Amino acid sequence: MRQLLVMTAADLRQRLRDRTVLIFGLLVPLGLMLVFNLVFGGSDDVELRPVVVAVSAPAGDAFAAVVLDAVESVDAVDVTVTRGDPVEVAARTRSGDADLGVAVPQGFTAALQAGGSTEVDITEGGEAGLETDIVVSVVDGVVARLHAASVAARAGAVAGLPADRLEGLAARAAEGPDITLVPGAAADEQLSPAGAVVAGQAGLFLLFTVGFGVLGLLAEREQGTLDRLRSMPIRPGLVVAAKALAGFVLGVLATAVLLVAGALLFDVGFGSPAGVAVLVVVAVAAATSLTFVVVRVARTAEQANVAQSILALVLGVAGGAFFPLSATGPVGVLLDLNPVAALIRGLGITAGGGGLTDLAGPVTTLLGFALVATLLSGLVPDRGAAR
Amino acid sequence: MTAATTRAAAGPPAVAGDVLVVEGLVHRYGDLVAVDDVSFRIAPGETFGLLGPNGAGKTTTISMVAGLVPAHEGAVTVTGRSMARDPVAAKAHLGLVPQELAIYPELTARENLTFFGRLQRMRGKELDRRVAEVLELIGLEERAKDLTKEYSGGMKRRLNIGVGLLHRPALLILDEPTVGVDPQSRNAILESVEALAAEGVAVLYTTHYMEEAERLCDRIAVVDAGRLQAEGTRDELVRLTGGVDHVRLSGAGDIGAAAAALRSLPTVVEVAADRSALTLTVRDAARAVAHLVTAATAAGMSLDGVEVSRPDLESVFLHLTGKALRD
Ligand SMILES: Nc1ncnc2c1ncn2[C@@H]1O[C@H](COP(=O)(O)OP(=O)(O)O)[C@@H](O)[C@H]1O
Ligand SMILES: [Mg+2]
Repeated sequence: MRQLLVMTAADLRQRLRDRTVLIFGLLVPLGLMLVFNLVFGGSDDVELRPVVVAVSAPAGDAFAAVVLDAVESVDAVDVTVTRGDPVEVAARTRSGDADLGVAVPQGFTAALQAGGSTEVDITEGGEAGLETDIVVSVVDGVVARLHAASVAARAGAVAGLPADRLEGLAARAAEGPDITLVPGAAADEQLSPAGAVVAGQAGLFLLFTVGFGVLGLLAEREQGTLDRLRSMPIRPGLVVAAKALAGFVLGVLATAVLLVAGALLFDVGFGSPAGVAVLVVVAVAAATSLTFVVVRVARTAEQANVAQSILALVLGVAGGAFFPLSATGPVGVLLDLNPVAALIRGLGITAGGGGLTDLAGPVTTLLGFALVATLLSGLVPDRGAAR
Repeated sequence: MTAATTRAAAGPPAVAGDVLVVEGLVHRYGDLVAVDDVSFRIAPGETFGLLGPNGAGKTTTISMVAGLVPAHEGAVTVTGRSMARDPVAAKAHLGLVPQELAIYPELTARENLTFFGRLQRMRGKELDRRVAEVLELIGLEERAKDLTKEYSGGMKRRLNIGVGLLHRPALLILDEPTVGVDPQSRNAILESVEALAAEGVAVLYTTHYMEEAERLCDRIAVVDAGRLQAEGTRDELVRLTGGVDHVRLSGAGDIGAAAAALRSLPTVVEVAADRSALTLTVRDAARAVAHLVTAATAAGMSLDGVEVSRPDLESVFLHLTGKALRD
């Protein structure tokens, strides 16, 4: 154990002295984050302006009140509701006093309950835009739910349910199915564009950084020091174990620094520190074992470096380091097994508020990847570089 | 001061019998038998040389002795520990100076020594003291804090050797340590090997320079094509050539008559003549040379030079293998 630490410490010291690690492990990815955020960024920071919505709702109409309530409680946009009769609503919308006009017709509830057709009249004012689109989609959603609720209620009446039960049923249907976002369920979408860039670059460069540690094994051979180490009273697996540990430590450090620096620079949150830490550790483990396959297959250090760079780019691109990629079928499964993709997905989950238990998917993928790669590196015949 | 520290300061602890025992080593690279049934022993304080041309199998032999590559047949025992059965114990008593440099360019000399010292299980004050000692020995105290990638070739070589002897191994193995070294550094290296042997370290030294083998080695094994062709002290090896010397008489006059006269002498084995010299193969030239000069002059040759050459390891190698040691 002591010898393992001695060797790992010496390795880390050399890798950090040789500036390549600092450059490729930190400066280049940070630079790329900056560039990508300048080029593609911004959509996250769009300032949604406040909107004025003119609403006419017949007094005492239960479902009309539901619509009004929905408009008032829109979260994403700062909405000011002015009430009036249908004529006033139309006038305000036309004059531009209101950005949007919403007119709920007389007998709205009765019409819905009777199964008749009825429509909420929506007019966009001159200043229509993203903000009014959001309000329109909210109103559309509510009306659709009310339709569904009345259909359910009528079905119940046909089935002979008592009136009080029917009301409850209708009310529940009106609330719609529980589609509140469960943290992690639609993880990718939960990374902001800037967050996706930071996570993507961290994932991409992880393989490079880990490579600097593990490929030190090849440097040992080319420096001739591997022979000297083999003549020393140390256990046979020690040299390889030290390289793995060095690669692992470099990977964890660099990824942690990138995520923290990226989060601060671009104002992104990745959520639960414990969750992120677990993700980083298993992702680095996966990258480390993958690098050992490279060490085995390559004939020379040169080849290993090239192979590692190609792998990093392929997995990075396929994993969505530059833009999100998705596919269905076998290709989709393959994309999902990619460690970079799993890391980004996991960060999406934590960013969306997911905790340790929500990470089972990506963590299992990453651990499985690490395991398979480790087994593979044991099976692949050594083609020379690591001898 | 206890007995143990006195001994540590004076060199490796005395071991009963030979420090290194090598028996019937074989190593193959595919069909090529790079080392073929090689056996030898080295006693404490003894310097043993493997002398042979490039490709003879010296490095492969040493690699088996140091436990870098497995022996396909045969056994290596270092201070009584079997390299095959207990490699960690056997390796603790040997120091290797590989043919190629084996130091870290991104570490300083002190860091290199300290790192390898720790792997040799040295620590604390003892390690610091020994690192300082070795830095002085190899003349690198002044540059101890510089990264070794900034060193000259000679400095790197010296550090390469320093790492091998840091932990006071009972057996020091040096693989052609003077190749590509300037004459001054070369001399320093040879001197330090002599000093270590005087302290009681057993040294295994490979070279293709016969002068180095002659100067350093108590016993020499001549290797070619993976086999030990002969083994012994320098004088024992020379005797294998049959004890003939070469005498070269140069001059003018009747060289043909001189050749005929000399050929009839009983000590002369062979005579070769050219336009200005005679080259004689002679038994015991030291005693015969005066007689040869007289006989040549009497036959009408006027001499302007006499050269006597005793056989050296070069001629031993030629005798044993039919090839020159250096191409
Ligand atoms: N790794 C190797 N693979 C194949 N052949 C080798 C290898 N190393 C050495 N050899 C061959 O084994 C023979 C002995 O080599 P070596 O022990 O290096 O000789 P020396 O050190 O005396 O120059 C040579 O013919 C060499 O070409
Ligand atoms: Mg050699």
